[in-house]
Amino acid sequence: MSIAIDLTNVSKAFGETRAVNDLNLQIPEGSMCGFLGPNGAGKSTTIRMIMSIIHADQGDIQVLGATALASKDRIGYLPEERGVYRKMKVLQFVEYIANLKGMYGASLRKTIRTWLERIELPEVENKKCEELSKGMQQKVQFLAAIIHDPELIILDEPFSGLDPMNAQVIGSIIHDLHAEGKTILFSTHVLHQAEQICDRIIMIDQGYKVLDGSLASIQAQFDPRVLTIEPVDSSANFTSLPGVESVSAGKTNTSFNLRITNNADPATVLQEIVAKVPVLSARVAKPSLDEIFIEQVVRSRGSEAADAVRTELHHA
Amino acid sequence: MQYERNYTMRKALTVAWREFKHTAMTKAFLFGAIVMPLLMMGLFIVVVPLLTESNNTPLVGTVVVLAEDDVLEEITIQIERGNTTLTEVLEKLPDAITNDPIASALLATAPKSDITIIAGNPSELDSIKAQVREGIYKGVIVVPDSTVTQNGNEDKIEIFIPSSFSPNHTDILTSATSRAVVDARLKRLSHNPAAIRDLIRRPRATATRLSNDGAEIQDNEIARRIIPMAFMMLLWIATFTSGQYLLTTTIEEKSNKVMEVLLSAVSPMQLLGGKILGQAGVSAVILLMYGSAVMAGLLAFALGDLVPVLHLVLFAIYFVIAYFMIATIMAAVGSAVNELRDAQSLMGPIMLVMVIPMIIWPVLSEHPNGMLATITSFTPPLLPFVMILRVTASTEPIAIWQIVLSIGVGIVSVVAMIWMCARIFRIGVLMQGKPPSILQLAKWIRQG
Repeated sequence: MSIAIDLTNVSKAFGETRAVNDLNLQIPEGSMCGFLGPNGAGKSTTIRMIMSIIHADQGDIQVLGATALASKDRIGYLPEERGVYRKMKVLQFVEYIANLKGMYGASLRKTIRTWLERIELPEVENKKCEELSKGMQQKVQFLAAIIHDPELIILDEPFSGLDPMNAQVIGSIIHDLHAEGKTILFSTHVLHQAEQICDRIIMIDQGYKVLDGSLASIQAQFDPRVLTIEPVDSSANFTSLPGVESVSAGKTNTSFNLRITNNADPATVLQEIVAKVPVLSARVAKPSLDEIFIEQVVRSRGSEAADAVRTELHHA
Repeated sequence: MQYERNYTMRKALTVAWREFKHTAMTKAFLFGAIVMPLLMMGLFIVVVPLLTESNNTPLVGTVVVLAEDDVLEEITIQIERGNTTLTEVLEKLPDAITNDPIASALLATAPKSDITIIAGNPSELDSIKAQVREGIYKGVIVVPDSTVTQNGNEDKIEIFIPSSFSPNHTDILTSATSRAVVDARLKRLSHNPAAIRDLIRRPRATATRLSNDGAEIQDNEIARRIIPMAFMMLLWIATFTSGQYLLTTTIEEKSNKVMEVLLSAVSPMQLLGGKILGQAGVSAVILLMYGSAVMAGLLAFALGDLVPVLHLVLFAIYFVIAYFMIATIMAAVGSAVNELRDAQSLMGPIMLVMVIPMIIWPVLSEHPNGMLATITSFTPPLLPFVMILRVTASTEPIAIWQIVLSIGVGIVSVVAMIWMCARIFRIGVLMQGKPPSILQLAKWIRQG
């Protein structure tokens, strides 16, 4: 499989601040890749370099087999900061962006109208952008990002500010575009969103890549410290069992999450629990991306930094 | 549907067309730059004459004169001479206007008075006044004989008129009476008033400049004073109006957060080039609009020869230089700030420099080949404004080497300013937060 985005030893600094450090990335064509990290991790800087909006201080960037600049028209980009020309009509705005992406021709307006219907905004083509709600403006901007049928689509926080209905509409289109074979790079700091739709995860923190691989392989890398138990008797007491550090409520009313001590083996503890307490189900829990990320921060920056990141993730 | 890739110029032209369309083809521009000036011109051409029309209605009726017979006769003569006020005004007008066929035609249509002068009895003054109030007479003129005698200037001539009498009609009576009294005085001393008037009329002196090439050029006050100023103002208005648009549209793209969308499709240089090109079109529209109005005015008054073709060619060259200087500065400032009010602090020093030609234009106009004019005509960014003023104000042609040098310095300055402003623009468009200082802008130029 050929590589859609290939970054080799890429670094970028702004004055004294190093935004991206020696970053190596290979994103295969046709993948749905989550580009994750907390605010200020270096995601937007990396994306701007991929879009050749800013240039790397060092390293090499290849996009769709060419330089980033040469591939500009083959990329669709939805920036994190949403913006439209307030006084421009919706059709004119999308047409203008399509023109800038090298798309002309008599059928362009027809294509825009078809897409406006698809994003459930069929009546807005002659309205000024300022007359639309924030969510509608966001959908128009999403349309402007994909109207030129790009091979690579980069979406920076595509769902932020959208209500569940509109998020579903956009999510469905992203899914369809991926099914058509487009490569999608999906940047977010809301990790569970990426967990749901991405087949590949890249995580960066403080400008360094900290994780890269499929979701399953990343989850496998992390030693699970949590067991999910559904006892027959919901009043069963697990705290006194050997190897159990703490107990908390599970995702269902009848399940419990048992955090095990650092020196205990999860498989052994699970066997002992099943032997002592009648259970309906018992399994080693897969760590969520949030947990993986916090674990990663603990490893690289210490537990104090992890607390700050945990708070940030809970607010996302 | 057709894909066009890597067409740098096409992208810049797409940006330029949007910039032009959304600036010049808007109701606000049409109103501000076209309708408003036309309305102002219409106000002077149509509305003002309409408003003053009542003053131009001819004075028709009977005026009673209480004076000696010779004075009464002179008043009748003066009134019959027509509108004496108009004659006096015409005498004061410059030849350029009085000789103009359109102006003459307009003046010929001025209304004439039709007044009957009758003699009255001084003892019946009160009853005549009452009849003036009732509208039977248009007025009564009282000329004491002492005013006609040699030392009688202390006594006053009195004219009683109705309260609704217009100032123009009042002028007709006062002017005719004053002249009549003077003529009566002269006649009593056996002089011929018409001959004396001719003797004391001051002849008009015209200056003719003798150039080194042997030509004789008649000096023209209008050409020397007004036209250089008009040229410079036109250059200033055309470049600064579109420069202001460039500033505001760039700030708008930053504050609306649409800049990053644009930069995902075009490079900062394509964006800057397109924006400057688009606003150049706006500037050209403004220039053509006002320039053709001025030229039409000059041609209408048969003054077209005051603006030689060479001046128009030089004006076009200096316009291009001036526009690119102003446009690059405005684009750089617009890219560096996030709000219009932030731009004020950066625009302050720039405007301080740019208004220099406007402040010193009387000096430049009076001494177009003086030290100040010569130095400033080679100093960017003032040079296009000063040089066009010099070219049009100077009674002797500016040395060719000076014109060539100023154009050369102008082109080099434009290239340097585009280079510097492009570096500021490239960094500025992605900057958010606090606006930079002038020193920070200099740092950006080094970094860019």
